[in-house]
Amino acid sequence: MGSILEVQSVSKRFGGIIALDKVSLSVPQGAVVGLIGPNGSGKTTLFNVVTGFYVPDAGEVWFNNNGSSERIDGLNPNDVFAKGIVRTFQIPRLFKSLTVLENLLVTPLQQKGENPLKALNPKAWGEEERRLARKALSLLKRFGLLEYAHVKVSELSGAHIKLLETMRGLMTDARLFLLDEPAAGVEAGAAHELFRLVKSLQGDGYTFFIVEHRIEILMQYVEYVYVMHNGKLLAEGKPEEIISNEKVIEAYIGGGSA
Amino acid sequence: MIDPIGFMISWLTIFGIYSILAITLNFESGTSGVTNFGKVFFYGLGAYTTAMLTVYLFLILNGIDVSKTPPYDIKGIIYLGELANKNPLLNMTLLLLSFMLAFMIAGITGYMLSYPIVRVGPAFVGFTLLSTGELFRIFLQHYDPAGGSRGLMSIPNPFAWVPDARTRELLFLLLVLGVLTLTYVTMHRLVNSPLGRTLRAVRDDEVAALCLGKDVPRLKATVLFIGSGFTGIAGSLLAYYMTSVNPDMFVPAVTFNVWAMIILGGMGNLRGALLGSAIFTFFDRALSFITPQLGVTIISPDYVRGFMVGFLIVAVLLYKPQGLLPEGRVETPAWEEQASFNKG
Repeated sequence: MGSILEVQSVSKRFGGIIALDKVSLSVPQGAVVGLIGPNGSGKTTLFNVVTGFYVPDAGEVWFNNNGSSERIDGLNPNDVFAKGIVRTFQIPRLFKSLTVLENLLVTPLQQKGENPLKALNPKAWGEEERRLARKALSLLKRFGLLEYAHVKVSELSGAHIKLLETMRGLMTDARLFLLDEPAAGVEAGAAHELFRLVKSLQGDGYTFFIVEHRIEILMQYVEYVYVMHNGKLLAEGKPEEIISNEKVIEAYIGGGSA
Repeated sequence: MIDPIGFMISWLTIFGIYSILAITLNFESGTSGVTNFGKVFFYGLGAYTTAMLTVYLFLILNGIDVSKTPPYDIKGIIYLGELANKNPLLNMTLLLLSFMLAFMIAGITGYMLSYPIVRVGPAFVGFTLLSTGELFRIFLQHYDPAGGSRGLMSIPNPFAWVPDARTRELLFLLLVLGVLTLTYVTMHRLVNSPLGRTLRAVRDDEVAALCLGKDVPRLKATVLFIGSGFTGIAGSLLAYYMTSVNPDMFVPAVTFNVWAMIILGGMGNLRGALLGSAIFTFFDRALSFITPQLGVTIISPDYVRGFMVGFLIVAVLLYKPQGLLPEGRVETPAWEEQASFNKG
């Protein structure tokens, strides 16, 4: 199967610091791929380039969806989202004053009721709203959050927040999920739970590209891993190959620049 | 003697006008997170648009040469006073015209101002709007066609042709309450719609909203258009109610009074805005009615009101940090679906 995301020798500089140095990688359609590396190796910067937060200084990013191939570097974050890429954050960014259900309902693009003139007439958007609500509620049911539908996100546990942030993407036509440290700050049991959900969504045809520090958890669920170090791609391969790769071990233990 | 009916009419009229400001500010700042410290700017724009349109057209349509007898001239003011009650149709037409123009001018100005400001942080939005308001006030002080620092006087009331003063006041009160109802219904529908939900999301976390494909700058521009448009109409009502406008009416304190109302009532809650406005304007009216009766001249009612409202805000924030009426959930049919989903 072809790749859904292709990063072609992308570079990004911040003043004198080279955050990304000619990084090339690809994520196969329908796969769960990991991205690891020590702190400051450029993982989140890469996510920011892919999702439109940064414009790369050099290189290209291509997104292939439904047989069409589009170059997405340089687009605004909202336009990247519209193409079908959804991301989560290291520190989850949910809408705190909204309830769980509302956090899901806010996601779909171009809702009729988001147009100010149509918003004035509840009849114009009521049907769509009900349909979206049913969709959101069955998602909540599937992931065991139904009883929290009316709860404000600020009152939710950390694991549930991570889960909800990922679920938001399921309300749209997103095909590719970029998860930034889904297991951070979550106890091991809940982290495994989350990764099991990722696998079950993989069964539905979604693709995942995951940054994770907790390698021991990540390695059990991914098919392929990229390792970054000092802005460069250091290694890539199947999890078992990466674990025994000496360069990788050196980068993690050695820490600073080699 | 205290005149209770007169008091009620005057309180409710001021309450109505301020409530339009409070409700729209609550929509802009409470729901959508656009820190509008320049409320008075759009209010003033509406008031001056109305005042200028009405006095100039009034004189011109009555065949008076405004280049010789401008409306801010003493002769112009006398003419306006004499002509005000001659032609009801003219008064009403000018009322409608100035409503539309005040809405459009204030709304479009809000929309255009959003361009440079919504791309910076909330604090800068606030200060840019605050200083724009001050610039406008200083400009007006030196702008002769609007009467400079004396402003414009003798603006013909839309109901000036009604002979009985009490009936006239009541009619005007009905007009104010009508506009207030329209504003309330509009804001209520916007807040309880997918748009309102998206605006709250933008307020909570702009970056996340952007990531979910929301066009944040455009949403904020829309909010400023709608909010400022209705604020312009509130200014229009003020100009007719006071029958005069001058730059000193549009000091930044007006903006902060409206902020006090929504903090007191509850940010993000429309009924809270009404409650805050009712409390605030009640103090205001009650003190200006009572003070002369008591013969107290040492303490200005302004200071007493400032003290009491300040005290109330501190007390409310201590015991109910979200205001008297906290923000509720977004009321859409989604919750009916939830109820039936849980059953079936």
